Amino acid sequence: MRKLIALMLTLILTLSAISTLATDKALVEEAQKLTHEELVEKAKAEEGTFIVYGNTSRITTALEQFCALYDITGEGNNLKDAEIYTKLEIEIDSNAKGADMVMIQDGASLEFLIENGYLINYLPPSVAANVDAADQNPLVHQFINKVFIYNNQGDDVPAIKNVWELTEEKMKGRVLFKNPESEQVNMNFLVMLTNEEWAARLAEAYEAHFGKPIELGEYKNAGYMWIAQFLSNCVFGSSDTTLAEEISQPTAAGKIGLFVLSKLRSSSVLTENLTVGEYDAQKNAYTIQPFSGFMYPMYALVSSGATRPYTAMLFIDYLMNVDGFQPWGKSVGAYSANSALVPLEGDLGIDIWKNTLVSEDPAYILAAYEDVSTFVTKYVK
Amino acid sequence: METIQRNQVKRLGRMTHTFLSKPANLILVVFLVLLTFLTLYPLLVLIFETFTVHSGREARAVGLPRGSYTDYHFKRLLFTLDDGGAMGVTYSNSWIQFYGPLLNTLSVAFTSSAVAILFGGTVAWFITRSNLKYKKFISGVFVFPYIMPSWTLALFWQSFFKNEFIGTGTSNGILASVFGIFMPEWFVYGYFPISIVLGLHYAPFAYILIGGILRNMDANLEEAATVLKTSRMRLLRRITLPIIKPAALSTFLLVFASSISAYSVPVFLGSPVRYYMLSTKMKSLMDTYPGQAYIIAAVMIMFGIVILGINQKVTGSRKSYTTVTGKSSQVSLVDLRKWNRPVAVFLVILMLLIAVLPLITFAAESVIIKAGNYSLSNMTLDFWIGTNLTYLDQGDSTGILLSGKVWKALFYSLALAATCAVVAGTCGMLVGYAVAKKRGTRMANAVNSLAFFPYLMPSLAFGAIYLAMSVRVSWLNGFVLLALIGSVKYLPFASRSGLNAMLQLSGEIEEAGQIVGIPWWKRMTRIIFPIQKSSLLSGYLLPLVSCMRELSLFVLLVPTSNTLLTTMLMQYSEKGWAQFGSAINLLIIIVVLLINYLVNKLTGASIDKGIGG
Repeated sequence: MRKLIALMLTLILTLSAISTLATDKALVEEAQKLTHEELVEKAKAEEGTFIVYGNTSRITTALEQFCALYDITGEGNNLKDAEIYTKLEIEIDSNAKGADMVMIQDGASLEFLIENGYLINYLPPSVAANVDAADQNPLVHQFINKVFIYNNQGDDVPAIKNVWELTEEKMKGRVLFKNPESEQVNMNFLVMLTNEEWAARLAEAYEAHFGKPIELGEYKNAGYMWIAQFLSNCVFGSSDTTLAEEISQPTAAGKIGLFVLSKLRSSSVLTENLTVGEYDAQKNAYTIQPFSGFMYPMYALVSSGATRPYTAMLFIDYLMNVDGFQPWGKSVGAYSANSALVPLEGDLGIDIWKNTLVSEDPAYILAAYEDVSTFVTKYVK
Repeated sequence: METIQRNQVKRLGRMTHTFLSKPANLILVVFLVLLTFLTLYPLLVLIFETFTVHSGREARAVGLPRGSYTDYHFKRLLFTLDDGGAMGVTYSNSWIQFYGPLLNTLSVAFTSSAVAILFGGTVAWFITRSNLKYKKFISGVFVFPYIMPSWTLALFWQSFFKNEFIGTGTSNGILASVFGIFMPEWFVYGYFPISIVLGLHYAPFAYILIGGILRNMDANLEEAATVLKTSRMRLLRRITLPIIKPAALSTFLLVFASSISAYSVPVFLGSPVRYYMLSTKMKSLMDTYPGQAYIIAAVMIMFGIVILGINQKVTGSRKSYTTVTGKSSQVSLVDLRKWNRPVAVFLVILMLLIAVLPLITFAAESVIIKAGNYSLSNMTLDFWIGTNLTYLDQGDSTGILLSGKVWKALFYSLALAATCAVVAGTCGMLVGYAVAKKRGTRMANAVNSLAFFPYLMPSLAFGAIYLAMSVRVSWLNGFVLLALIGSVKYLPFASRSGLNAMLQLSGEIEEAGQIVGIPWWKRMTRIIFPIQKSSLLSGYLLPLVSCMRELSLFVLLVPTSNTLLTTMLMQYSEKGWAQFGSAINLLIIIVVLLINYLVNKLTGASIDKGIGG
């Protein structure tokens, strides 16, 4: 009996999913062939409010500029990553009016939505040549980095050169990190540390710092060991913005955080009290061993429930170029996937950052997520 | 044969017709069907969801496709006690995700109920049975903590007491930076403040319910004891306390149920130190493993059912409520003598701290530029009326009073609150009328229980169920969904005040109208409603005020967090946009207090009558 119900339910769900798909995927593919003017025309001809869900607060500014430029009514919403995923599915499943376009992080969860047709990829012809093949499908809009940043005031400045310093007794309570349970990209970063490559590099770094080979004991590999000891020393915050503000206060002397570099743009952050670790002028790179932090892509896609698909595609095209990227590009810590857009003065390019930051590998994250997240929960509790 | 059958059918038809021609019966039948659908059907959906595989991360973890049947959620949440390894059972998945939060929830609920009754009941006694000074001020301000959103006190507590040695430990709140006093972590976050804040928030409940009994208590009882030279302590113990026992127990149960489902207070005062309760765990699980979140919702609802049952047993046997007749009752007040001034002053200061200081704190937080610095040079009105604030790179580019987004949210919130108030209030009045008229019949009891049930369903769980329902019913989204859930959620209050109002009316009043042949609707609008106007209107006021300050009910259902003022506030707080957040918080509180004041002045309706004092 319940098998029958389950079968019926799956059938209904798949059918409803398919029926909403057919129009939009083909439509997006067709639209790849349009010229810019044709796209603008079609976008303007569409009706209703253009709705965008974004993981980033600057999406509303970009949207405002876009709407002013093309005389379109738009509504931007800044939501948490997990919320966007939940919302999108429910809206598309129940055919409710929802987002036309999304800007979203967490590549591993994205897989599911793309596989099942909830999100459709669009590569604007105007930037196709300047975007790395690896970043084209799904389309990466920008990369964001979270790096080790410390308060440079007081006597005991934690200017670390090796991440294993953060696991020492004296660092207890001095390390700030956004709770990985409320930020998927943080959890993904921890998952990545357990793969072969990073576990090996962590083992090497251990030897370099403590002078003796690593003894794993009960831990599966060096990644797990570092995660456990790092998290035990951490104090968890609920928002990168608050973390940045708090760690920049004079009272936060001696503390170090792992958070988004671009939060330094906020006016309530006292940037003079902060230093990004650890800059090597000779190499023109940040050189904490074996990594200075991590980075993750922010993707831009069309929703299959879009009532204004052409506007969505036009907006993606806008965002990938100079004007659309400006809300992010004017501050440090935002790197467009469009290589024609240069990074901000004083910041490094993404190609340099890529060498010292941990990146997401969706396939590995999908496979290892369960194990690592259960492990992490014990240390975050 | 045929004639007999036809006659039977005709008789049945006539009986039904007679039955339904009485308005009270018709109302009962309609609401029985409606409420069953709106409360029991969602429950079925909930239970169904606890056995279903949802998408994304959950599907990967279970290893089955979306929509399949599974008992994985139960196993994982309730029976995974052995994966803590060397660290012990408190590190097992089930403990972290369920049993630990369950323990925390129960301890907080017990403590906050105790706090509410002790504080509210004591003040109620002072106000109703003693000659305390400044009564008007104290009783007027006492309901503030209930009118203000529950997180007001929580946010105030956090921003007042936080300091660099606890939590993320980098900035100082007002007490630390202005007075140099650093409170320990257990005082500022976790079990202690959550219990205190919830207790204070629900103390008005106790005050109103217990105060109501004390107010109407016949003074002859106490005077008889005094004549026999009973000491005051004995009088209190042997006469006063037993009389208020049913009300106290009822209050305890209500506050207990409310504390179990509290969400915003634990989020602000518990989550920063990872002190989780069932409600906060449910919210975080909803985005990752919904199946387990639904199980927690079901557990919370079960608590509600049990408490409802106990409450019915305790209060169901009250006999007569008629008070609108003509007898006057004497009340003799206890003379406090030398204790009068100290107690009165103490209470006044306490009320100022609880009701007024938070408002001042929020005002201060909304005008400072850099956190922790409360000097005048660091203050600006930009967050209220500034323009061109893109340099801030936060939330909005204009101050909140000039922001289109904020005004839109304000009007949407007001419209939603008004709709819920009208629907819930009217239905509540009708239900109250019908149940009062048919008091004692099975149908009346059924409708009465069903109408009260939504109150005991935790708002967050309720929201989760309606979310699941909204996927199945296509027209159920947006404003309609929010208005529906709001109306159902606040129906209990409206029906309670409606019931109390109707029970107070002696039956002769309506019968007089019936004898003269006045139709039902005219009897309602021209006789009954005007007499009990202030009690009945309180049934409209409570949903109105509650809806304006409601968060957890709507947080899962709003199209975007900018839809309602309260969800906007939550988003701003989570993002750390402290100034905008505090400004919006202050705006919400002012609007709510204003509405309460206006309705009170214009119609005489008030929160006290609404809760049933």
